[in-house]
Amino acid sequence: MSSSVAPVAISVRDIHKSFGPIEVLKGISLDAREGEVVSILGSSGSGKSTLLRCINMLETPDRGAVTVAGETIEMLAAANGKSRPKDRAQVDRIRSRLGMVFQSFNLWSHKTVLENVIEAPIHVQKRPRAECIEEAEALLAKVGIAAKRNHYPAHLSGGQQQRAAIARALAMRPAVMLFDEPTSALDPELVGEVLRVMRSLAEEGRTMLVVTHEMGFARDVSSRVIFLHQGQIEEDGRPEDVFGNAKSERFRRFIKA
Amino acid sequence: MDWIFLQETFVSLVSAVPLTLLLAANSIVLGAVLAVGIAVARFSAIAPLRWLAQAYVFVFRGTPLLVQLFIIYYGLSQFPAIRHSLLWPILREPYWCAVLALALNTAAYASEIVRGGLLSVPFGQIEAARACGMSRFMIFRRITLPLGVRQALPGYGNEMIAMVKATSLASIITLMEVTGVAARIISESYRAIEVFVVAGAIYLAINFLLTRLVQFVEFRLSPHLRQPVAVLPAIIEGEAH
Repeated sequence: MSSSVAPVAISVRDIHKSFGPIEVLKGISLDAREGEVVSILGSSGSGKSTLLRCINMLETPDRGAVTVAGETIEMLAAANGKSRPKDRAQVDRIRSRLGMVFQSFNLWSHKTVLENVIEAPIHVQKRPRAECIEEAEALLAKVGIAAKRNHYPAHLSGGQQQRAAIARALAMRPAVMLFDEPTSALDPELVGEVLRVMRSLAEEGRTMLVVTHEMGFARDVSSRVIFLHQGQIEEDGRPEDVFGNAKSERFRRFIKA
Repeated sequence: MDWIFLQETFVSLVSAVPLTLLLAANSIVLGAVLAVGIAVARFSAIAPLRWLAQAYVFVFRGTPLLVQLFIIYYGLSQFPAIRHSLLWPILREPYWCAVLALALNTAAYASEIVRGGLLSVPFGQIEAARACGMSRFMIFRRITLPLGVRQALPGYGNEMIAMVKATSLASIITLMEVTGVAARIISESYRAIEVFVVAGAIYLAINFLLTRLVQFVEFRLSPHLRQPVAVLPAIIEGEAH
């Protein structure tokens, strides 16, 4: 399989994270190779969103290391025994290489769809405006909302907003796309249009980490499925193996529910 | 009705309008800059900075503007250090004393308005900016402040109107703005009602224009809150999903 020789795009080593007395992540390690589509499954509270948010430091892991495209985020030990990033600029730089798609879209409400898409390429990556607009329009066409480019987020359906958010993330030419339950806030009839866009990204060979409840997507589109339970990885393998003969009873119950 | 007297009064008072506008504009602009600084300080991770901002708001909101004006105009000259400082050429001018008092006062109120606006910015939109790799300053400049200002604008319109009216206090420290000129005309003519009615009408006109201006700016800044203009129906119908 080609993915077994592809270089590692994201490496997570022994991530721990607690909120107050609750330990949400109990030492997670995970490598995603270039071109891999990793679906992260788990019941609510299993830590899957927290894991994703630790990768781009929206949550600061208490311990552990994150490496993106060969660059490890440097951490310092803080006074309370937890760790924190040493260099904010490095975190910003690594974040700009990770495209994040949120459950609640989080488009900037005072900017049009096109302005949302070109904002970070122009201001973070300092690329020429004309080039950014050209690329943004191509991305909006690709996710199927080119005609909405001058609309504001509030004037779009949830599915359109999420596709705009995907275009915004893609505009940064990210090394890895992170999806945090991208369809969970959508009406059932709008889920399909977003999943179709994600499927086409997977077929292009993009590296994606997808926290999701969409079993169909995990089974059919991803190259790897991870099942988190109580802050630990309980299943990790190819979808046909994991879904076909799961080792853990909990996962078998989880997919039946 | 003595139309000729009213007309003469109006002409005299209108000639004082530029000073009123200058006082209001300068103090509003200075006050707004200060207000943003104070509002940001209220969110600072550095506790003494937060306390300082809080104390500032407490003092300037809790004491009368007239008292602040007197302290700055009559009080500051008591200190030799200030009389011999580089600022003295400015601080001995009643005009700058008035601008300073008005600006310091409005900054306290406006900082609370701005703070409310900044607090209203949805956290998800800030998080999306962080996830794109924006620095903290860039997030403030590109996302938080523009969204917060839009939220704060209606409330801030009130504060601007209050400032236009507050400029009338400057007449007490010898400035001949609209109220100052009105008081002089009354002391010469003893016709308080006519003169103050004309003066009041002038303030009303200024604030009418100001209200319209704020409304216009608000309108321009909030297309995202309105229904989209029905563009060509054909485009909407023919649009692919």
